[in-house]
Amino acid sequence: MGENVTAIITEMKNISSGILNKDLTTVRGFSERQLEAIAKQTVLIQKGVKSGDIDEDLREFFLDGLEAMTRNFINTLKGILLVTIEKLWNALISFLYKAVGAVV
Amino acid sequence: MKTIKLHFSFLALLSILLLTSCEATLAPAYDQAIVDKVTVSSDLAMRFFAEVDEGTDSISFPVREPVYNQLIGAFESLKLHAKARPVPSDGATKKINALLKSKGSNPIAGDYPSAFAFEQIAETFQRMKQTDREKGLNPIVIEAFKGQIEIYLDQAMTYESFLKR
Repeated sequence: MGENVTAIITEMKNISSGILNKDLTTVRGFSERQLEAIAKQTVLIQKGVKSGDIDEDLREFFLDGLEAMTRNFINTLKGILLVTIEKLWNALISFLYKAVGAVV
Repeated sequence: MKTIKLHFSFLALLSILLLTSCEATLAPAYDQAIVDKVTVSSDLAMRFFAEVDEGTDSISFPVREPVYNQLIGAFESLKLHAKARPVPSDGATKKINALLKSKGSNPIAGDYPSAFAFEQIAETFQRMKQTDREKGLNPIVIEAFKGQIEIYLDQAMTYESFLKR
């Protein structure tokens, strides 16, 4: 019994690590791209407002845009993580069903 | 004692999983048609930005108006397409939500970050069109519109590609 539990735990860890390592690499790349792009966009708007190229009307539009795109960046991360949870859940449950000899 | 606890935890987890049964679907299905359309539309958008990057004047706006209309229509259509996919609420989702609630976390919900991004891209082009028609666009303003659209495009494309499990 003890050996079986250890083997199952080891396999579950392997399944989880495989999925998490792959998905977190994507998440990390996406986050870095987004943060850099949002920072650059902020500086550009700041520059445009200062030089007068971006007027009051457009300033409001772009500021609202910054807020909305940052909010959606977080929502995209949540959406991506939800897919990862789904993959983890399904991989683990499939393994556990097989381990007890049940049919999924 | 430690082994007994471990066995108990494992059996409890196994019981929950067996009782909730089957596979969970927590996010919308992958749709190759959406990914293809985003690729085509973003290509059109970037080519348009390349054409106008030195600035525009309102006199020549009618030449650009059809491209604006095409871009706005394409991204509005993508929004509808992305939103049309249902997110099933099955037994496993309910169990996960109950578990999250018991831990004080927000439940998972069927969010559509890509649909929101498509909607914002269409609105950005709409605003760009309006500004172009009224007073033309200087290079900094064009760069700001482009930056906003690129950020949303990255969000939408990353999310849609990630749905391919």
